[in-house]
Amino acid sequence: MTNKKIPITRISKFFGSEDFRLEQDIGMEWLHGDMHFTLVLFRVDKKTSDVDDVYGESGPEEIRYKPPVEFNAYVKIDAPSNKSYGSGLVNQMEPGNMTLGVYMKHLEELDIDISYGDYIGYPEKEDRMRYYSVSNDGRVTSDLKHTIGGYKAFYRTITCSWVSENEFKGI
Amino acid sequence: MAIPKKIKKTLNINPGPTQGHYPEGYNGITTPNRRKELADLINEDGTHLPKSILHADLDKGMLEFVDEQLQTSVSGKKINLIDKILTLQRWAEFSQTWKFANQDKNVELPFIVVVRKPDVQYGTNPALKYTIPDRKQFHYAKVPTWDGTRKGYDIYTIPQPVPVDITYNVKIVCNRMRELNQFNRIVLQKFTSRQAYTFVKGHYIPIIMESIGDESQIDTEDRRYYQQDYQFQMQGFLLDEEEFEVKPAISRSLVLFGFDNKNREKEPKNLGEKVVDKVKTRVDFIVGQSSVNIEYKYKTNITIARIKNISTVVFQINGITLSEPVLVTPGDVLSITITTPVVGSPATLTLTETLVR
Repeated sequence: MTNKKIPITRISKFFGSEDFRLEQDIGMEWLHGDMHFTLVLFRVDKKTSDVDDVYGESGPEEIRYKPPVEFNAYVKIDAPSNKSYGSGLVNQMEPGNMTLGVYMKHLEELDIDISYGDYIGYPEKEDRMRYYSVSNDGRVTSDLKHTIGGYKAFYRTITCSWVSENEFKGI
Repeated sequence: MAIPKKIKKTLNINPGPTQGHYPEGYNGITTPNRRKELADLINEDGTHLPKSILHADLDKGMLEFVDEQLQTSVSGKKINLIDKILTLQRWAEFSQTWKFANQDKNVELPFIVVVRKPDVQYGTNPALKYTIPDRKQFHYAKVPTWDGTRKGYDIYTIPQPVPVDITYNVKIVCNRMRELNQFNRIVLQKFTSRQAYTFVKGHYIPIIMESIGDESQIDTEDRRYYQQDYQFQMQGFLLDEEEFEVKPAISRSLVLFGFDNKNREKEPKNLGEKVVDKVKTRVDFIVGQSSVNIEYKYKTNITIARIKNISTVVFQINGITLSEPVLVTPGDVLSITITTPVVGSPATLTLTETLVR
């Protein structure tokens, strides 16, 4: 990232950095304080994981993780789908995709980043945690939807797809 | 006019034999040196057996082939190759591409990626296809052994390798025609003879180019880039060391015979009782003949076994009349004189001759 910084003067007549921070803090207060959807991020440690020479993949016992981190997000989970493994063979009822809205400031405060392929745990019930894999880390926030009035992006939309416990079941 | 890159200042007027190993020509009898070299490559590291060649080894061979033989540079800069076969594991894909990813963690163009079709088909390599049924084991090597007291051999056997065809798509994604041209030139030059080879654990594995496709995004309103797909088929084989067998060869043999004493009827009669020193000799006298001389080379005892149309028999040696049994020594000429009761009919005298030791 370039060190050269450019001041943002868009809509500066009626909206500035202080307004941006205020709006952001109010939103975070609502999301983290009132909604309080808590998730757990399991980041794969790509440096220490034992990967295959040819495929770059690892078995369940060969993946290393950084310490799990709790974070808050706006959660939307699609309806489960009833599928089969082809031609009606072996029915499979699968959870739908999970879409998260995460404040970028929140990630900065926690000093974490959510990357493609990381795992996220969502406590569905007291005794049931479901795990998802990040299929779109929403890193590119160039659209105006992710901004406040076009001023500056303040959240990321992260899409995750469900993974079976055969692939990941927590640390 | 272009300046030639390869300028030869001298001509080699004595190019030497076609086969460097055989200045006088190959005799067609001994194992060719090149075959020995290939066997050494296969058996490298001294296990006396070839190493396993499985799917991952063939995939690695393809990656190395693309990396080493299809390496492309434009303006002195090598086009990045994602040097892994990407699989379903998302974070693994991320971890393989971060080296040349941009701020948004997207892979920077240009790059080359190798994609393997997950389905591996039974091979079409004619050297291996449907030739030997039932995974029969074949002799591969004979390895000397020594257990401290006896020398012997271990026999190493392996089954016929299983042919496989693996399809790879090598894709180049770039945004300059020069990069496309450069890669295309290298690929076409490499596959001028239809096939090229990769080297997997001492084996040369053929790769055939099947097709070249274009998947470029050249829409007016979206991002534009070139993407070309080169489809290759690797005609490999699987060699699984789990199927190899090592068994001891015969180091000494002990032959035992067994007989059934109860079943005597099948025994040959007189086996072991036949007196080979005793023979019967038949002497025929034609009509009008009354004597015959027989020279003996061995010491023999002679008796009369049977007579026909004979009334008397007289044995003489050197004029001396002898009575039965007659003992002759080597060099004696025995004279036999008979009288016949019926004149005008032939006579027959059968003698029993026993060798005296």
